[in-house]
Amino acid sequence: MLDQRQKIIGEDTVLFEHIWKTGKGFYITVSILGALVLLGLYAYITQYRTGLGVTGLSRQIFWGVYITNFVFFIGISHAGTFISAVLRILKAEWRRPISRASELTTVFILMFGVGSVLIDLGRPDRMLYAIRYAHFRSPLLWDVCSIATYLTVSSISLYLALIPDIAMLRDLGGKREWFYRILSLGWRNTESQHRRLERAIGFVSVLVIPVMITVHTVVSFVFAMTIQPLWHSAIFGPYFVVGAIFSGVASVIVVMAVLRKAYHLESYIKPIHFNNIGIFLMAMTLLWFYFTFAEYITIVYGNDPVHMAIFWSKISGKFSPLFWLHFTLCFVIPLPILAIKKYRTIRGTVIASISIVLGMWLERFVIIVPTLTRQRMPIQGAYYIPTWVEWSILAGCISLFMLLYTLFTKVFPIVPIWEVREGREKAAATVAARITSYMPETGTDLNLPSPGGRG
Amino acid sequence: MQFDRRGFLKITGLTLLGLSAKPGWEVFSKIDQPEPSPMAESLAKIRWAMAVDLKKCWSAKEGCRDCIDACHRIHNVPNLGTLKEEIKWTWTEPYEKVFPEHELEYSEENHRDKPVLLLCNQCDDPPCVKYCPTRATWRREDGIVMMDFHRCIGCRYCMAGCPYGSRSFNWRDPRPFIKKINPEYPTRTRGVVEKCNFCVERLAQGLIPACVEACKEKALIFGDLKKPDSEVRKALQNRVIYQRHPELGTKPKVYYIL
Repeated sequence: MLDQRQKIIGEDTVLFEHIWKTGKGFYITVSILGALVLLGLYAYITQYRTGLGVTGLSRQIFWGVYITNFVFFIGISHAGTFISAVLRILKAEWRRPISRASELTTVFILMFGVGSVLIDLGRPDRMLYAIRYAHFRSPLLWDVCSIATYLTVSSISLYLALIPDIAMLRDLGGKREWFYRILSLGWRNTESQHRRLERAIGFVSVLVIPVMITVHTVVSFVFAMTIQPLWHSAIFGPYFVVGAIFSGVASVIVVMAVLRKAYHLESYIKPIHFNNIGIFLMAMTLLWFYFTFAEYITIVYGNDPVHMAIFWSKISGKFSPLFWLHFTLCFVIPLPILAIKKYRTIRGTVIASISIVLGMWLERFVIIVPTLTRQRMPIQGAYYIPTWVEWSILAGCISLFMLLYTLFTKVFPIVPIWEVREGREKAAATVAARITSYMPETGTDLNLPSPGGRG
Repeated sequence: MQFDRRGFLKITGLTLLGLSAKPGWEVFSKIDQPEPSPMAESLAKIRWAMAVDLKKCWSAKEGCRDCIDACHRIHNVPNLGTLKEEIKWTWTEPYEKVFPEHELEYSEENHRDKPVLLLCNQCDDPPCVKYCPTRATWRREDGIVMMDFHRCIGCRYCMAGCPYGSRSFNWRDPRPFIKKINPEYPTRTRGVVEKCNFCVERLAQGLIPACVEACKEKALIFGDLKKPDSEVRKALQNRVIYQRHPELGTKPKVYYIL
């Protein structure tokens, strides 16, 4: 029995340890997060009982922090797909230890994207009317469809890659064996099962990419389909997708750093991971700048007074502190850190990523709110200062996300053990074979013309 | 016939897919207006519109609010006392804000600060209608943009869609803020959107809208655009008329005469 255990765990004890060992840190984290979740819950109950008047929203600025959160959280959710599915398709071997952490971020944060819209409803008790009386001309219904699809597909992809690990936990026995037995779907680690799993994962990885692009495009359509100044823009679809991948990848770096530290995964999640994702993030920083520039230069050059009024409120008016702060956080701070090799360390990439995540929240805010201050007419008393309710609900959402994440790691391994092992045992040979197949054929077996020409 | 598990799952999956095909098709192929209003045909022969004669309006005493008060009184519009949670069906804004495209610097008459009555434009092609996810707002055959307070989920997408700022949201329970409740018209709950309805409930009784009736200067003219001899048609004849942002293609049915 002990031998059997030893065989399953192998040299990856540390990957199982966070499930079995519950330290003081865990209880402290859970209680702090739990308290913040309760605060958010209290804020929501207050809002539910008295109405949205307890927020800072007003007749003029009727969308604020909640809709910002909606766009922001759904943006973050793009990371998982990008890191795990795209790298899987590209056969990037270094993805193995981090794919689950990013997929899990996707699935959990996506729920809060949906939740934010429901929190924003004036009559949440009637939310199912959107299905019962569904009106498919409304972009909100497109959102419902695409987000539901994305949540389903990304949950399936997370679960598929979990099965072999669940089976390991089942074979280790213990109190929760029955639970793992059900979830492992009879996985016995056979050749044919592996083949089928690989096929399924490959299929889902390809499927999830167009779904992901659709989701954030449709989220941008909520704004772009209106005729409001600075929302009605054809670039919004790709601009939002780029922003989503940008903020999502940044948040995965933060998640990776936290997991590495908390669960002692130093030998699995290495500086090379931060370096590689950091380079990608740098490319995204430039891409983000490109889109932002293209969006605003079009407006400035067109010089339509309706658009310019809002443009100036961002550049030099009452939203200018937020606008320039978001620009600094999204571009000025991260770019040099990510571009200079010396700074592209774990600490460097984490600082850049935190800056990007904060900056991207502000970006969503600066896109949504200024437009509402003067839709086509300067409006009196158009101001928006979020109250404690919005901030508490935001804190509650983020805390609940972290809490769910923490609890997940008490039940399942956060590093895909089987994928890491597969990499260790087989990857070197497969990669070598693949490289051989890329290389130009050598002259001996082909009838190439002799290099001498006339010879 | 023998089944293994895979075979069973395949058959079950295909069966479910087959069974959901018809309801799925029905959802997506639904025509836009599933149930026309009662008397749709006779309503379609009407097109209600309003003209605001600004000169007449400005001849009234300073700060006249007769039309606004009448509207808000009969429709149980609350007075919350703050700009933040304000609910208004009709209101005024200075001329230069409503028509910023009219350059008034060199005109002799100075009416820049004069009030212009604003209300729902009852557009022929109302943007708000297409944004509503539950069809709580829709356009009736006679052109009135209707609002179902019982179906509204309070997402406020219609407010984002309306380029005229005609819609208000109930940020809290409005009932304590209504001076005297008119039992003839429903009150609203917190969390729903509301707006001017061209007094559809009075039109049904053969009355004209309350604001039109309340105006002593006869500055508001109401009628059916499809009747050549209607008052509103006469008012629009041979006059310079403005609409708010006609360039947006919404075809507003509130006209301003100067």
